[in-house]
Amino acid sequence: MLAMLDDVTKVYGKSYGLRDLTLEIPVGQVIGLLGVNGSGKTTLLKLLSGLLLPTRGRVSVLGESPRRNRAKLVFLGETDAIYRWTSPTDAERLMSGLYPDFSLQCYRTLLDSLQIPMRRAGAMSKGERARLRLAMALAREASLYILDEPLGGIDLVSRERILQSIVGQWRADASIILSTHAVAEAEGLFDRVVFLREGILALDALAEELRERGESVRSTFLEVLG
Amino acid sequence: MAAGPIYRQIAHHVHRALARGLLKPEDRLPSVRELAQQLKVNQNTVVHAYSQLEREGVIETRRGLGTFIRADIPLHVSQHELLIAAAHRYAQEVKALSVSTGEAVKVIREVLDAGNVG
Repeated sequence: MLAMLDDVTKVYGKSYGLRDLTLEIPVGQVIGLLGVNGSGKTTLLKLLSGLLLPTRGRVSVLGESPRRNRAKLVFLGETDAIYRWTSPTDAERLMSGLYPDFSLQCYRTLLDSLQIPMRRAGAMSKGERARLRLAMALAREASLYILDEPLGGIDLVSRERILQSIVGQWRADASIILSTHAVAEAEGLFDRVVFLREGILALDALAEELRERGESVRSTFLEVLG
Repeated sequence: MAAGPIYRQIAHHVHRALARGLLKPEDRLPSVRELAQQLKVNQNTVVHAYSQLEREGVIETRRGLGTFIRADIPLHVSQHELLIAAAHRYAQEVKALSVSTGEAVKVIREVLDAGNVG
């Protein structure tokens, strides 16, 4: 097992972010994490990446705590957090200094395929910045890619390019877990879909099995969470 | 997105292209990664589709070269596959209407004999 959450609960003050959640992530899967706003998606992803600690239960990545295995995982957060003066070249220097698994070759291929302009982030559109952040994240050769809303709030063309890059960068020895609201657009990407509702696991199913039953991920989303 | 597993849709698409002559024996298919990116589907799904087509004897993987339509592929295999798929659709309709098998077979024979198929 690549990663797991074992009976995890996260409490924020008086409310639950996540409740009694158990999830196993094997090697080589692309998992879609779906749910409406406030259902616990970001909490789950931050727990998995070690940015949050569980109130109860245990989170592990490759048998250790996510913080100990930080070098093996990539976390792409939802916020548009990149210094405005950073150009793709600065980002390359930054990433290769920070992460031994950062592949220059892969990064440059991604800059090209994602059509990222070679200017500072402050002069880029929101979609271009999102693409740059994705290139920085996907150019690492990590074991687990944790992507929070990589398609959020950006234009259709950027979303297409991002989906294609995620598909193209996936390796059989790594897994990807990503949250998104663009269910219909992204559903072909997923091996498996995990639905959260109010911090509770509402459904965990294989995407092709849903389709075998004549459903789609989208229709299941509406049925389970609507 | 149409109903049914994506891997089956991909395999079906290849059969259809063969039956219509859009794909021919010895043609090279896109690599798993190329097709996955083009369709924006998981690579595992394309692998699944290709392995089914390989089992059916439609395609073969040549190491280091890619995936090809087999030279010896009998075209009636694809036609047969398409017929089966069409029959499944008819069967679903028959089931939805709660018509007997005898009645369903009789109707299809009448339609074929009349030769007035769309």
